[in-house]
Amino acid sequence: MAWRNIWRNKARSIIIMLSIMLGLFSALAVVSIYKGMMRARVRTVIDREVGHLQLHHPRFKEDYLAEFILPEGSGLEMINKMPGVKATTRRTVTTGMLSTATGSSGITIYGVVPDEEKVISQLDKTIAEGQYFSSEIRNPVLIGKKLAKKMKLNLKSKLVLMFTDSTNTMVSAAFRVASIYESENSSLDERIVYVSRESLNSLLGIGTAAHEVVVLLHHDEELDHMMTAMKNKFPALKIESWEDLSPETELMVDTVNQYAYIMLTIIMLALAFGIVNTMLMAILERTRELGMLLALGMNKVKLFFLIFSETVFLTLAGCPFGLVLSWFAIDHFNRNGMNLSIFGDEMMSSFGFSTFVYPEFPFDKVIGMLFIVVATALLSSLLPAIKALRLRPVEALRK
Amino acid sequence: MKNETVIDAHNVSRIYNPDTIPVYAVNNVHLHLNKGEFTALVGPSGSGKTTLLNLIGGLDRPDSGNILINDVDITKLSSNQLITFRLNHIGFVFQSYNLIPVLTARENVEMIMQLQKISRKDRDARITQLFEEVQLSDKMNSRPSELSGGQQQRVAVARALASKPKFVLADEPTANLDTKSASNLLDIMAKLNKEEQITFLFSTHDQRVIERARRVITLVDGKIASDTLPTNTA
Repeated sequence: MAWRNIWRNKARSIIIMLSIMLGLFSALAVVSIYKGMMRARVRTVIDREVGHLQLHHPRFKEDYLAEFILPEGSGLEMINKMPGVKATTRRTVTTGMLSTATGSSGITIYGVVPDEEKVISQLDKTIAEGQYFSSEIRNPVLIGKKLAKKMKLNLKSKLVLMFTDSTNTMVSAAFRVASIYESENSSLDERIVYVSRESLNSLLGIGTAAHEVVVLLHHDEELDHMMTAMKNKFPALKIESWEDLSPETELMVDTVNQYAYIMLTIIMLALAFGIVNTMLMAILERTRELGMLLALGMNKVKLFFLIFSETVFLTLAGCPFGLVLSWFAIDHFNRNGMNLSIFGDEMMSSFGFSTFVYPEFPFDKVIGMLFIVVATALLSSLLPAIKALRLRPVEALRK
Repeated sequence: MKNETVIDAHNVSRIYNPDTIPVYAVNNVHLHLNKGEFTALVGPSGSGKTTLLNLIGGLDRPDSGNILINDVDITKLSSNQLITFRLNHIGFVFQSYNLIPVLTARENVEMIMQLQKISRKDRDARITQLFEEVQLSDKMNSRPSELSGGQQQRVAVARALASKPKFVLADEPTANLDTKSASNLLDIMAKLNKEEQITFLFSTHDQRVIERARRVITLVDGKIASDTLPTNTA
């Protein structure tokens, strides 16, 4: 009888099914977009920023002093021969000031080996203007687009980098903008400049030494194993994973997960109100009939399950459609990408997110999402069902 | 043959608005019905006919008095016990049929027996018998919307009898029927009363029903104004 009751008012039942379908779709879409955003952010951190892990002198990060170089001849050069390691590079890092005729800005200077960076951070792919470490320019420097805009710098503009060398003596040198890069993280673009390691080492007076070794692995899953191996092999060095090096990303993943739950709660509340309202209407329209059933001897448990089953059937009918719709939509955007620039390029990029997101179907969360949607739908049907139970046949029959 | 009491109501009153302006819908009524009676409850609108039927049928509770159905005081039953009691002892026929529109005529009748947990085999046999009695064997699989008013009310009578009740309460059963359908319905109920000793109590304004009744109780302002005793209890 419950199944047939559903089709008494087709439009209303279709609306409930659509609500359930859209509720499940929205829940899965939100989770898949957040998952895609987080996956992309983590990939950016690993593939474009810090690699899987880095090795430093234990005191280097206290003040970024040039003197805390990695010890040479300790086997660091053999890291790229270790199984599981895809690529390594050695960087020189220092903090200082970038000055032009119009102003100055605090920056971090990376001395890099251009060819190795192509593999480690794909720095060459972020170039928006100019040539990647052009040989035509003496003392080339790569600056971020945001910094260029802030300091009013163009290609071939001259600038001065100032920092302290390994003897704590202030040094400065003139560089020319060889290229302007634009990464997915505008906050990094504003404070990181790249020069060749050879030039920077010469200015710092540290010969061929480096401050950090960046290691990229073949597979993310090898990180824990590789961390242990590195710590055993280089006990005197500080070895940090990408999660240690980019704690804000870890925090962001947690924050975004919380946002996802807040969004889910809002979606589920909307779904619940929709179902409660529609089912209450259904009860109101059938007050007389429900009173008649009570009068004829249908007990309250059966009446409760009659109303409850109607929502169960609608939920069971709506969920598969929601799943199929979600699958096709998410798969489409997973292959073609989803442009979120309408939410603001600046805002997305300031948090390190690309405006182009590739949502990922959350296979691991489908059961959970289904459970939440079904539970919401069933809980929402409780109120109308309880209202039906409170009917007094003598009053209901007068309606 | 000794008369078997089916309904025994003592000092039954039902008062609306007891705290403001009390209205005595039923006022200190005594009523005694034996098995096999075919009784009409008549009176002007607002005289308390439907209220008294609701009280006897256990759909409403009196403010005072006792109602014994087959020696069970239904005023002492809990809400859930009353539902079960109604299912097994009382048949109802309503003025506007009240069939469930999504079920066929057969399913409307069968539902009552399903609630009683009667086996499928017994249900089938009873349904066949009931539809023969109400002369609708060819309409068993029709939805209520496919039946005329008279046919729907006959299905309602079959439904009322499905649980093999001791008596049937009918609230204005012919009010929405044309003369032919009303006459046909009354014939069927009279036949069931005579052959199966089912007690019928009708509330009615309909002179056609009053003429067929063997006992007529008149209510005025919630009180029994007259009670013509049965001439024959079949």
